[in-house]
Amino acid sequence: MSVPVVLCMSLFGIGLYGLLSRRDVIAVLASVEIMLVSANVLLIALARTGSGASVADLGRVEAVGVTIVVIAAAEAAVGMALLIAAVRRSGRQTVDEFRQVRG
Amino acid sequence: MTLPGADIVVGTLAVAAVISAVLVVVVREAMRMALSLGVFLLSSAGLFLYYGAPFLAAAQVFVYVGGVLVLVVLAIMVIRRSPDGSPVLASRHDPVSAAMCAMFAAGASWLLLRDAPPRGPMSGTSGSADLASAFLGPMVVHMELLGALLLVALVAVVAISEGERR
Repeated sequence: MSVPVVLCMSLFGIGLYGLLSRRDVIAVLASVEIMLVSANVLLIALARTGSGASVADLGRVEAVGVTIVVIAAAEAAVGMALLIAAVRRSGRQTVDEFRQVRG
Repeated sequence: MTLPGADIVVGTLAVAAVISAVLVVVVREAMRMALSLGVFLLSSAGLFLYYGAPFLAAAQVFVYVGGVLVLVVLAIMVIRRSPDGSPVLASRHDPVSAAMCAMFAAGASWLLLRDAPPRGPMSGTSGSADLASAFLGPMVVHMELLGALLLVALVAVVAISEGERR
């Protein structure tokens, strides 16, 4: 039980550090992906190694994992589209340069 | 999965995942970051396979490695370049942030392990039939919402692109 928890929390911490330290939007998005994937791995690993999980429960947990993958893919697609539009329009690509948003 | 040497397999996958995640966070060259992200995503797909979620592993490879990684490479093509022509990424590494993230990871691990249930017997691998039963049974609302979310994301990407063109 302890190995997947420590592994996934380490990966989540690495992603969190990337979120805090990276300036480029593309690297920030990659760090968010690391955090999402680590949470997904932890979900599956806990369902697998927890007490008394049946195969039907594993199927349900896997469905939640697929849900997370789809949400992450949609987030990445919109994020990349925003990044490309911002870079082409104003040449800005770091989070420090996005100090204000326009409605 | 009860293959002999499975611990070696999961250990190798875990080490590869951690090293590639660290590289994603620290490297300056954008293409190296994309390659490291690809290795990380493939390692996590291997972990999904090890923990008995083969469909999720396949979805991880198709959606992340085949889709998101291509998007990342496309985005790298438009970002700023260094004087020698290679795309570079800006960072502001801070030891205090690193220490805080390490403390967060250690604290969260301790909290999760403190109340962890005793390890039960390893169940069998869930197949696509179990996944389909879950999605068409108790999670049918989730599946419909996912379809709607993907449609909204597609419309948003098209709207962003069209707005940029105007």
